[in-house]
Amino acid sequence: MRRLRRGCRAGVVGLDMGRGRGRGRGRGRSVPLRPPSPYRLQLSPSRETLTYAQAQKMVEVDLDGRLHRINITDPLPVITEDEMMAQDIVECNSNKENSEQTQSRARPGRKPPNTKSRRRESKNSSHQSRRSGGHTQSQTNSFQNPSHHSPLPEPTFRVLEAPCPLDAPPLPPSYYRFIEKTGEEQDQEAEYDMDEEDLAWLDMVNQKRVCEGHASVTPDTFELLIDRLERESVLESRNQALSQSAIDEEAFCCVCLDDECLNSNVILFCDICNLAVHQECYGVPYIPEGQWLCRCCLQSPSRPVDCVLCPNRGGAFKQTSDGRWAHVVCAIWIPEVCFANTVFLEPVEGVKNIPPARWKLTCYLCKQKGRGASIQCHKANCYRAFHVTCAQKAGLFMKIDPVRETGINGTTFSVKKTAYCDNHSPVGTRRDGSGDEAVEGRLVGGRGTRGQRSYTQTPPPPPRKKTPKGQKKGKKSSTRRSTVPVLLVPQIPSHRLNKICTGVAVQRKNQFMQRLHNYWLLKRQSRNGMPLIRRLHSHLQAHKTAEQREPDEKLSAAMEELRYWQKLRQDLERARLLVELIRKRERLKREQMKLHQAALELKLTPALILLRSTLDQLQEKDTPQIFSKPVNLAEVPDYLEFISKPMDFSTMRAKLEAHAYCSIADLESDFNLMVSNCLKYNSKETAFHHAALYLREVGGAILRHAHRQAQSIGLDPSTGMHLPDSPNKHGFYQCTWEDVDSLLDPVNRLHMSTEEQLKALLEKLDVVTSMRSSGGRTKRIRLLRREINTVGYKQQRSQSINGKEEEEEVDDEDDEEEEEEEVADVEEVEEKEEDVKKEAVENGLLTSDSTPDDSPPTLEPSCPVSSLLPGDTPPEPPVLGLVSAGRRSPGRSNKRQRSSRSGGNVRSDNDAEVSETLKPSKQEEAPTEVCSPETPSPSTNSSPPVGVGRRTSVLFKKAKNGARLAKNKVSLQNGGSTEGKNNGLDSTPIAPTPPTAPTPPLTGSNPAPPTTAPTPSSPSSHQLRSRGSSSEGEGEKTLPLLVKEEGLTNGLGKHKDDDPDPPSDDQKQSTPPPPKRSRGKPALAKVPESQNGDSGRSLLLPFDSETELTPLDLVWAKCRGYPSYPAMVVDPDMPQEGLLHNGIPIPVPPVDVLKLGERRQKETGERHYLVLFFDTKRTWQWLPRDKLLPMGMDDTVDKLRLMEGKKPNVRKSVHTAYDRAMVHLNHVMNHVKGNLTFNPSNFI
Amino acid sequence: MATAIYLEHYLDSIENLPCELQRNFTLMRDLDNRTEEKKGEIDKLAEEYISSVRNLASEQRVEHLQKIQSAYSKCKEFSDDKVQLAMQTYEMVDKHIRRLDADLARFENELKEKLEVSGYESPDGRGLKKGEGRGLREKRGPRGKGRKSSDDDSPRKKKLKNSPELSESLLPMQPSDVLDMPVDPNEPTYCLCHQVSYGEMIGCDNPDCPIEWFHFACVDLATKPKGKWFCPRCTQDKKKK
Repeated sequence: MRRLRRGCRAGVVGLDMGRGRGRGRGRGRSVPLRPPSPYRLQLSPSRETLTYAQAQKMVEVDLDGRLHRINITDPLPVITEDEMMAQDIVECNSNKENSEQTQSRARPGRKPPNTKSRRRESKNSSHQSRRSGGHTQSQTNSFQNPSHHSPLPEPTFRVLEAPCPLDAPPLPPSYYRFIEKTGEEQDQEAEYDMDEEDLAWLDMVNQKRVCEGHASVTPDTFELLIDRLERESVLESRNQALSQSAIDEEAFCCVCLDDECLNSNVILFCDICNLAVHQECYGVPYIPEGQWLCRCCLQSPSRPVDCVLCPNRGGAFKQTSDGRWAHVVCAIWIPEVCFANTVFLEPVEGVKNIPPARWKLTCYLCKQKGRGASIQCHKANCYRAFHVTCAQKAGLFMKIDPVRETGINGTTFSVKKTAYCDNHSPVGTRRDGSGDEAVEGRLVGGRGTRGQRSYTQTPPPPPRKKTPKGQKKGKKSSTRRSTVPVLLVPQIPSHRLNKICTGVAVQRKNQFMQRLHNYWLLKRQSRNGMPLIRRLHSHLQAHKTAEQREPDEKLSAAMEELRYWQKLRQDLERARLLVELIRKRERLKREQMKLHQAALELKLTPALILLRSTLDQLQEKDTPQIFSKPVNLAEVPDYLEFISKPMDFSTMRAKLEAHAYCSIADLESDFNLMVSNCLKYNSKETAFHHAALYLREVGGAILRHAHRQAQSIGLDPSTGMHLPDSPNKHGFYQCTWEDVDSLLDPVNRLHMSTEEQLKALLEKLDVVTSMRSSGGRTKRIRLLRREINTVGYKQQRSQSINGKEEEEEVDDEDDEEEEEEEVADVEEVEEKEEDVKKEAVENGLLTSDSTPDDSPPTLEPSCPVSSLLPGDTPPEPPVLGLVSAGRRSPGRSNKRQRSSRSGGNVRSDNDAEVSETLKPSKQEEAPTEVCSPETPSPSTNSSPPVGVGRRTSVLFKKAKNGARLAKNKVSLQNGGSTEGKNNGLDSTPIAPTPPTAPTPPLTGSNPAPPTTAPTPSSPSSHQLRSRGSSSEGEGEKTLPLLVKEEGLTNGLGKHKDDDPDPPSDDQKQSTPPPPKRSRGKPALAKVPESQNGDSGRSLLLPFDSETELTPLDLVWAKCRGYPSYPAMVVDPDMPQEGLLHNGIPIPVPPVDVLKLGERRQKETGERHYLVLFFDTKRTWQWLPRDKLLPMGMDDTVDKLRLMEGKKPNVRKSVHTAYDRAMVHLNHVMNHVKGNLTFNPSNFI
Repeated sequence: MATAIYLEHYLDSIENLPCELQRNFTLMRDLDNRTEEKKGEIDKLAEEYISSVRNLASEQRVEHLQKIQSAYSKCKEFSDDKVQLAMQTYEMVDKHIRRLDADLARFENELKEKLEVSGYESPDGRGLKKGEGRGLREKRGPRGKGRKSSDDDSPRKKKLKNSPELSESLLPMQPSDVLDMPVDPNEPTYCLCHQVSYGEMIGCDNPDCPIEWFHFACVDLATKPKGKWFCPRCTQDKKKK
């Protein structure tokens, strides 16, 4: 039973089977010694071993406090209790053979190879398993027995409704792992398990102890002590084993007295009595693993057995069929006796067949009569009788030969046994084997001594004879008892005993230990000295064998040493692991420290961090790093004149680190200061100005975001730390479409100032862009953008107005603004021009064209515009018209009106003619009207003056502010009005734009043009200035005066201007020539400047002023997806036959390009310039003004553009294009130069 | 004991290893204590700052914060020192282990030779014994071998944890002992798989890599790559930057 369970568990846990079996067998053997255990229906496997499916089919029964499970498919026999016991026993005896056979048969494969060294321990499996197997079978069989008793006992089992909660599927075997304990571990714990016997004993002892007033001993201590005793005994026996091994070397089989040992026929040793037999001699075909016991020890371990056939004891016994014992040798030699099974050589049969005569023979060796059966000498006439064992003891000649007999039935094999008394022993075999002759004799002699030895341990026969049987037996048994335990149970010295019990705390220790020791000894004896702990025993033996193999002491020492080193290696390894762990830990700690620092920083100065990140973001947007460092005053000495509080990112950062900023607002104000500084100082067309505008736009978004963050975080501005209570997140992001829409409606914003409106709109834009994308979103974004733009306009306009009133500088008017005002102006322009045309009737075409430079376009658009803005137009004075004329270069003003451009020339002509008559009157009227209505417009116009004023500023870079200042001065001067000449000078620069002059020289109408030209040009130039003056509130009168004066001066200027014209005169018939002139001027600029300041300046200025982009100007054109690229502005209205500019042919735009331009202008409502790129293909493009940047004006700007391309090949192409443009410029310039030098002389 | 002389030497050399370990550890402990002190200081400073920030001028604030900053930089220094020390210690132990391995290999070879020369043992006996040893090795070999080799040069060679030749030379000699070594539950784990080191391992060339070592198989490597190698995580981070 036990065995079965063990097996079960072993299977589950994955114990190796050999081990499990070995253990089981041990238990099995001890079964008979135990009190009969209660009957069990079935061994209940532990729950864990049941699968769900199994559990479903099981019935649990609770019997005697034990749980049993019965398979529901099993037939359930009904038995009473008495019957049960009886059956149990019956079953034990029947049916065992089968199971045993199968078991033993299944084993052959395991038979280990025999080595020369003999196996001391081995086991007869068959006997073993018979026992244990029998028990297990008995249970199952008992079920099948039909019951004889009819009354059915009440079933006491219950059906489990709910299956055991073992739903978990069986785990894969890889999850199970058997971890073998190391020897030390096992030494630590008590391995011994108490059995019932122990329990009973302990109970008794404890009762006594309690009676005596001592504390009882716990089972745990008991187990521990037994365990220790076992261990001690193992140690002892190890020592003994060493001495025993010597005997083993000369072991011989006690059946055949031979020490021959073949692989197929090894000598086995009984583990208890140390009996040595050959496999064949004792009938052990297969060597069992582990322990092997002889039959005698196995079946009658406590009682010595006597042979029925001889008086001797010891030796190899087998049982007879009637349950007695007999020597194997006796059974072999006595002819009537035989073995029932010749393989296993048992049981002995035929004892009853021995004739009484044989029983009566008297052994001549032991002289005992009537004890056992004797054989007689085989010598024919010798009748001496002797016991087989006695003969062996005496070393008589006994030989067994195989004989082949051929009879009627065929050939049979048999053995011929011959035994002689000492008298008839063959020659040379004398008693004592005193070393005479032949080999045989020696052999026999040797055997004799062996025989003697093998039976020496048994009591000598003589005393038997004298003593009565009963006495003999008792005595013998007693002696045997004494001898066996002494042999098998190692005595434990008392000092060791003491040592054992030091570890336990028990009252009256010594007494208890004494008892325990005795109990243990008895228990060991009762088990034939078998160790109580199986493992130790086998371990011991394994150890023994291992040690046997250790041949060389030196070697073992070396091995020992090696082990030592390896241990050291392990220790080092452990140390290394430890250090590695430490290293990892320290690294982690370092990381932690860094995190800690960051966290604390965030805690102490959250505002600072937010500010810092905001600043970083802002600075990131400043890719050219214009603002990263303070303005170098050495480079720009006049900077401080304009800018009182310089600001840049680096100072901002410094302030930030010094905790000078408390909130985002502070940062923002500095940022705005920085941007506005830049805007202020740098003129509009510079890269710096653009960069500043861009930065303001982008930075605004960043700052707004930062604001929101700061709000949601909840920062305390005074401390720069978090507010004690986190702010409730107001629903910034919860705004709905309705909010947005309502804001979009201008009516809803009326109550707000423009700034507020702008702010609100921007915020909404942010919100909307951060929303999930949807149709509504994109639409609203668009709407918002548009709204923002318009509001921005308004704001700027109002600003510009204010600014104008104070002083003239209104730097940043956006194109759009101008457009609007432009519109207003346009009408006047028309009228003005008409006037002009009147005067220049003859070459109406030319003049009209020439005056406005690009005038034709401006004129045409003006018509539609005027219709659009009727209200504004009327008040506009003629001056305005002039303005527009002067401004002609900046086509931007015409953007909107330009839409209908085609055939512009024709119309303009017509208009010119028509309006000519009107002009003069208008001019006169204009002055009066100018002041009042103009106020709104001046801002727009102010830009041209900037250009004018420019002359004072020598520096080209950062010109704007300088220019403006200069301009202011100029305007002041103008205001004085006395300095008409100055004005004239100033105006001259503008005058060039109205290159009306050019026309006169060449054309037949030469005389006329000069006259006509002056008038229009002067007003234009004047107007620019006049704006300023008018804004200053100067009297209207001044204006007219100025006009006149200018007219004069202009005339002069014009002459100068005209000088360059001659070359262009050829082309004059075609409209474009004037533009050329303007183009040519820049080239002139440097030279003439030195010659005559006025003219030079005048030439330069038009270029500087950003507004004026005349055809044939070189520009940086920026197409989407490309870097700025050198290009030339081309007049789309140029004659189809082409034209020459300073002798250089200008390509004619193809028709489709022109059409495209018209369409585009219609679509966008802006004026586009036709540009011709300086690429290899000379491609055309229409671009709005803001995409164009004058080229060759400012080295830095040019350089910036050149570097703009991101890819090297792009940059290269830009470079080549730039070179090409420069070549072009040079050509033109040369021509102009020549002309220049020429012209003056001509003129003069 | 017929000890080889070099082993004796080794014993001498390793004699003061414990002392050095002790010294290093105490140093580290000392540093740790100082770090803790600094930390306490920082905490105090921070509290002070929080309580008084309202009344502080901006310069004072800066000053105060700088104090904290400097304390932190001290802490960082200490931490760096500690890491350095730990690495040093590791190198030291590792050096000893290497030497022992070499010596042991020599010793075992000599032992083998001695056995052969003496020829004492009946051949079958020896064979048996050998066989036993081999069996053992085979049974637990894979793991032991892996661990062994990986442990060997793990921290040493930056590039490859174990050069194959080293592991191979080690393998034959210590089948038994390393195998016997119990598994340390605290053994540091590496790689994306968070397993202990085994087999060939590769180190990430990012000095701040949190994992440091990777099994070849886990990073889809069969052979040691040329040039620098970064683990998947570090390459990701790099790309982000």
